[in-house]
Amino acid sequence: MECSSVVDGNVEEVPSKKVIKFNPPLYKQRYQFVKNLVEQHQPKKVADLGCGDVCLLAILKYQKCIEELVGVDINEGRLKWNGSRLSPCVGDHLDPRELDLAITLYHGSVLEKDCRLLGFDLAACIELIEHFDSEDLAKFPEVVFGYMSPAMIVISTPNSEFNSLFPCAVFRDSDHKFEWSRMQFQTWALDVASRYNYSVEFTGVGEPPTGAEDVGYCTQIGVFRKKAEAAEMAVLEHHGEHVYEVVYTTSYPSLQQINYRRRVVIYLVYREVSRLRRKYQVSLRQDELEAEFVASGNQTGKFTSGLPVPVLTEDDKAMEMAPQPFCIEDKFYVPLQRIIAYPRLGHLCGNVEKLREFLGDMIELNCDGSAVKVDLNDCSDF
Amino acid sequence: MSGRARGRARGMARSPVATEVGRLFPSLRSSPPSIALIDNEASSSSDCARTSRISQKCKCGISSSDSGCTSKERGGKVRRDVMDLSVCTREKLTHVRDCKTGSSGIPVKLVTNLFNLDVPQDWQLYQYHVTYSPDIESRRLRIALLYSHRELSNKAKAFDGVILFLSQKLEEKVTELSSETQRGKTVKMTITLTRELPASSPVCIQVFNIIFKKILKKLSMYQIGRNFYKPSEPVEIPQHKLSLWPGFAVSVSHFESKLLLSADVSYKILRNETVLEFMTDLCHKSSVSCFTQTCEKQLIGLIVLTRYNNKTYRIDDIDWSVKPTHTFRKRDGAEITYVDYYKQQYDITLSDLNQPVLVSLLKNKKNDNSEAQMAHLIPELCFLTGMPGQATSDFQLMKAVAKETRLDPLVRQQHLARLADDFQRNKDARFELETWGLHFGCQMSLTGRIAPAEKIIMQDHICHPASAADWSKDIRTCKVLSARSLNKWLVICSNRAESVTENFLNCLRRVGSPMGFNVDHPKIIKVQENPAAFIHAIQKYVKYEVQLVMCILPSIQTSYYDSIKKYLSSDCPVPSQCVRAQTLNKQGMMLSVTTKIAMQMICKLGGELWAVEIPLKSLMVVGINVCKDAFSQGTMVVGFVASINPRITRWFSRCILQRTTAHVADCLKVFMIGALNRWYRNNHGLPARIIVYRDGVGDGQLQTLVDYEVPQLLSSVTEASSNTSPTLSVIVVRKKGMPRFLAETGRNLQNPPLGTVVDSEATRPKWYDFYLISQVACRGTVNPTYYNVIYDDNGLKPDHMQRLTFKLCHLYYNWMGLISIPAPCQYARKLTFLVAQSLHKEPSLELANSLFYL
Repeated sequence: MECSSVVDGNVEEVPSKKVIKFNPPLYKQRYQFVKNLVEQHQPKKVADLGCGDVCLLAILKYQKCIEELVGVDINEGRLKWNGSRLSPCVGDHLDPRELDLAITLYHGSVLEKDCRLLGFDLAACIELIEHFDSEDLAKFPEVVFGYMSPAMIVISTPNSEFNSLFPCAVFRDSDHKFEWSRMQFQTWALDVASRYNYSVEFTGVGEPPTGAEDVGYCTQIGVFRKKAEAAEMAVLEHHGEHVYEVVYTTSYPSLQQINYRRRVVIYLVYREVSRLRRKYQVSLRQDELEAEFVASGNQTGKFTSGLPVPVLTEDDKAMEMAPQPFCIEDKFYVPLQRIIAYPRLGHLCGNVEKLREFLGDMIELNCDGSAVKVDLNDCSDF
Repeated sequence: MSGRARGRARGMARSPVATEVGRLFPSLRSSPPSIALIDNEASSSSDCARTSRISQKCKCGISSSDSGCTSKERGGKVRRDVMDLSVCTREKLTHVRDCKTGSSGIPVKLVTNLFNLDVPQDWQLYQYHVTYSPDIESRRLRIALLYSHRELSNKAKAFDGVILFLSQKLEEKVTELSSETQRGKTVKMTITLTRELPASSPVCIQVFNIIFKKILKKLSMYQIGRNFYKPSEPVEIPQHKLSLWPGFAVSVSHFESKLLLSADVSYKILRNETVLEFMTDLCHKSSVSCFTQTCEKQLIGLIVLTRYNNKTYRIDDIDWSVKPTHTFRKRDGAEITYVDYYKQQYDITLSDLNQPVLVSLLKNKKNDNSEAQMAHLIPELCFLTGMPGQATSDFQLMKAVAKETRLDPLVRQQHLARLADDFQRNKDARFELETWGLHFGCQMSLTGRIAPAEKIIMQDHICHPASAADWSKDIRTCKVLSARSLNKWLVICSNRAESVTENFLNCLRRVGSPMGFNVDHPKIIKVQENPAAFIHAIQKYVKYEVQLVMCILPSIQTSYYDSIKKYLSSDCPVPSQCVRAQTLNKQGMMLSVTTKIAMQMICKLGGELWAVEIPLKSLMVVGINVCKDAFSQGTMVVGFVASINPRITRWFSRCILQRTTAHVADCLKVFMIGALNRWYRNNHGLPARIIVYRDGVGDGQLQTLVDYEVPQLLSSVTEASSNTSPTLSVIVVRKKGMPRFLAETGRNLQNPPLGTVVDSEATRPKWYDFYLISQVACRGTVNPTYYNVIYDDNGLKPDHMQRLTFKLCHLYYNWMGLISIPAPCQYARKLTFLVAQSLHKEPSLELANSLFYL
């Protein structure tokens, strides 16, 4: 598995002059922090404000709970160039997600209001605010906290107290307009939080080295959570303008989409039917094969024990109750009741009517439509 | 292999020295993949279970990115097929320098799959070289910095990290820009104009191809290999666990007089089956004792697609000792289990904690001597790709796939029309074309000509077949040209096949006599149903005077066929005929099956079946094919088949195994001299003309052919005689061309009639070339065969060359009808196939005078 490009675009993160190195690198620790928050709070809609090279979004797109992922940045070229990193891959089509996922990249400033950014569960502003001059910094809370007003906001910024450990004492980045001490950041954050009715907790990433614990984390982080839940939400909904320009947008195949769900159901039914048929064939040739089959149970346990065993044991309890597959002449029948008892298919279809609808004309049923009908001896099995 | 060992391998591959070498000699570019599509790499971002670590030093100082490195070597590389286009063979052929088109035959109007691509007269492409200060290795970062610069943001551009192409000239010859990285470091970019290229330049062609790749991506298609596919409209074949993604193969190229885009419908076969599912199935099917071996046998060498990114890997090994619960070392040095890694990285929960891991050796792009790097893959997260191994013998499956993928002309045309429509209507696509100053035009039509039908000459009858596609009915009662009677021969069959065999022998006698083929009763040997028993019987009973051995095989297992053919083709050279018992069991088919077998037997005994009229009196035609041996990778099989009588009904066939990977034949001189000797013995003189059809040529090999194979043939021809030596023509035959031709009949579209020749517009200006349709496609759209005359002393008029080629397509004795390539090529193809698949060694010279491989 190739992962050569991990460092690309972040090469400058670890200038050789620095004595202190973080492992994993600091930028990864910040992304990890956001990812942990997502895992913990399971937000549906997540925005990355100042998303840059879309690295964070590329990490978050794998999170199953997220249904909408948005990135905003003022550098259009960078968004355009990186957009395709977020597109679904071939595997996403073959094995679709459970929930929908739409990803959109907007070209625009975080200091402008766009109604498409309303109603989010989490907004991340990673290493963003230190790039604002005082005027912009003053506008920022009004837009993000006041207007967008997501349920949770995470803001990270350098901790200037940590800078004393670096060889050169200037800002970490030439574009930084300021770097705050913990006191400065917390004062600002508490003020903003109280103004917009948020609570805030402080933490950070990048542990200081032993002996210098008093400087605090290298990156300080504030996690803001909205106190009163959305009384005014409804009022704000879709009233604003569309200021941002859509640079990239994509949506993922998912089981919510009927064509994908149907496809997955059909493949699972085929799998299940041919598994049952194989079992049946084996039982027919029992005498001949008994010795071998018993042995196979043991041997294969070495690598697939995890797979067939839980599938069989868990299912079998439910499936013992369900009607059994049967055979008439050279045709093999599996009752739909039996198929739906298979947990994954039960979950996907809900009931037999739905299952029958999914199977449609793709799979042959018996005349009363109660069972799947296949040839007992299919040449592809040999 | 331990994680540590892998780490070492990785470390070495990334040694700074290797990087430096790449930089010092950017001109030493090795083999070419095209100029990469610039946003290609973007999806490869996220890391995966790389079981290795890079030293910190490496990471900061001389950045370790693979992509960065290749970008330096990349610029201006030319794709192989584009390389061929710059080989000018026509200018040396004086008789076609001015005109290479024929004029005989009935004109026919044809629609092509080629689209006009209009470029303004004075259009130019500007090539710039870009350097960074401080230097940046990462290709992605280089591109990101340039792309995000305001100066260039609205310009049409293509950039691979080093070389930048613009359609508009920058004001200054040298432009200095400065940009800031996301982390605020200022980087100076110097953009220097290096070349101004006209639209006809090969580099421009590549840039056009890049532009269309970009456009296809914008149309939500996925690039897999060279082609683009639409996942949104899959064709599902669930009973075989296959998904077919429709898509297109698109390429821009210079044809006879203008720039054209050729587009063809293509299907990608994806399998809805993970490696784990495949293993589980296999485990239930196969006996336990040999499960691991069966598994390895079936899986190793397959290409898998990982679930979480768009990468494909070749399975090189299976490590049964590693489980998902084992740990590996990540790049940052931390130990993590595979289970935790996939959970953390991709939010994927592995269901089977006992599965083994697949091992893939990563290709070493840098070509240095370091150890190969390995990747561990989890079977549950890998999809199989391509057709299942046993698919070719699974008739149902092949039928299901063919049903979906073989589009008839009308449907194909509809697909193309939709693509053209997308190019013209899609906002992004149009924008892209406009900024480059290109205009996507209409589909091209042209006029072809239909060569007249041929007469089939039998011993005492000349027949005008009702359809040139299949004259089996027309000649059923005719005597073949010559057939030796079969007096002393063996039939080996299993006990079970006894009655089938008797039936068949009766039928053979009945069928044989009207053909003029006398068959005596053979000696029948009954054996057990296993390959060893067959071979044993052959060894015991085949003696020198036996004319032919027939084996009635109980199954399709290749072990029967391979071992029998191997023994009877080289160890003990006797013509052999293998037939499956099942084939002889088909009710109602018996007569036609037996007729075909009888004809094969006649040929194997050195007989001749039919002829066509050949106006040239003393002509030798030769077919050469080169293919890879199925087992040993570094071995090529070269087949050479030459006619040894003026009627072109008798053949001399040679085959050799050559230890090289290049598709270039080494031994042509020996073969040619052998064939000329044989001709001399039969005809008491040398042929006046020789025409060689060369098949099995790979992309980018045209120049080698001209420089290396043609001289071999020429020298053997000139050495053959002191006074007048035969004149020589060499024609490259290709079946996998892009252009397609469809005949318009009213509102409908059909495959063009047999014998349709196209020698204008869709051809290449620098070549003496033509297309010929000499076969019917009963389902789907016919693929025209492409002929490129690279050497021609014979000076035949194009008309005659085309007609002659068409005539030769009638002479393949294994099929009573026209075929898609000249018979000598098909014989050579059949011969190399037998050697590459079954024999793996040279067949005996004693068989060279008969078509023993039919």
